[in-house]
Amino acid sequence: MKIYTGSGDRGKTSLFSGERVAKDHERIEAYGDLDELNSVIGALAASLPHPAEGVRPELEAAQAVLFEIGAWLATSPGSAAAGLLPPVDPQAAAALERSIDRMDAALPSLGGFILPGGSPAGSWAHLARTVCRRVERRVVRLAAAQAATPGDESMQRSIVYLNRLSDYLFVLARHLNRIQGSAERLWKR
Amino acid sequence: METVTAESPGRSGPAAFRTRLLARRPLAASAFELSLAKPAGFTFTPGQRVRVHHAEAARDYSIAAAPGEEIIRLCLRRVATGGLSARLAEIPLGAELVFTGPHGYFTFQASARPAVFAATGTGVAPFCAMAAAGVSGFILLHGVAAQEELFYGDLLREKAAAYVPCLSGGRAAAAGHYRGRVTDYLRAQLPAGAYDFYLCGRQEMIRDATLLADERFPGSLVFSEVFY
Repeated sequence: MKIYTGSGDRGKTSLFSGERVAKDHERIEAYGDLDELNSVIGALAASLPHPAEGVRPELEAAQAVLFEIGAWLATSPGSAAAGLLPPVDPQAAAALERSIDRMDAALPSLGGFILPGGSPAGSWAHLARTVCRRVERRVVRLAAAQAATPGDESMQRSIVYLNRLSDYLFVLARHLNRIQGSAERLWKR
Repeated sequence: METVTAESPGRSGPAAFRTRLLARRPLAASAFELSLAKPAGFTFTPGQRVRVHHAEAARDYSIAAAPGEEIIRLCLRRVATGGLSARLAEIPLGAELVFTGPHGYFTFQASARPAVFAATGTGVAPFCAMAAAGVSGFILLHGVAAQEELFYGDLLREKAAAYVPCLSGGRAAAAGHYRGRVTDYLRAQLPAGAYDFYLCGRQEMIRDATLLADERFPGSLVFSEVFY
């Protein structure tokens, strides 16, 4: 099966709501970064050590939520297509909070800034965190431009989710480094 | 008819259903129609697809019937050998089939712009579902090689503001038919303006029609569904 159509060969693509826009349109930039985040989470999942297998369902759940957020990013506010999209579920952020609390309970308290890195899986988690923050910044920008329009609630929920996901990935990085015996290195001036 | 799994549409994916093949009829030498019993609990929006699973193969087909009908009609391109469509051309009536769905978002969204439905071959199926469900006033371009492939013409002609068969085959076109491809019509005949384009069918048509929309019809929306 071919995966290419060629309809984007001249630098334009279609939003889910049908508009033809340049491929550097702010919505395309936003869901492009979201796609990058999803891929980095995939790499993280691929690098999970055996003792951390329990994290895999959490990562896959996050990837699924990111697809839902991506659909909102690809849709103009107030369009008829927005009516086809499921709202972003606030329980998704709540689930992340429970995971954060579970992992954090077993971690030593933070004594300063830690250098991103450590084990391969921990390093992927740090990278995912930084990409997640970039996506969050993109979505904040988009949401500001569409405040008080239909779909705004899902954009606001997306911001909450991305903020929480970034926190989750930070704690996950520390968790993965801990279970793999990779000592945290603190930033020294 | 029964639901195979208890999954509901959402993160766990569309539900799976068991059904039976009730009827099969030729639409043209190149295509045929399957009528499946509609399982209890199965709902869809016109333009959506089902994924038929049979003999360890799976393939998506657009539904050509309205949601209110008792049957699910699928419109399939006939292929000589191999693939699920070839098997479905041969399986006996009454055979059990499993499908998942509904899939996809190729659904009609009313707007102030005129809607142009452009299809090649069996890509006309989702537009049949829309028309059968009451969508009307659209411009429909159906690209086929020969006149006999203009299936579902009565339904579409009744609902369309303009029904334009586009014949790309060698023979001269009959009165009321356009001689050329769908994209030739878009390039040379459709008046300038902003439209909502719904494109369904071959990848080449969708590519060329989308690029034409960019060039000739700025401000238009483009929705597409590729048939492989």
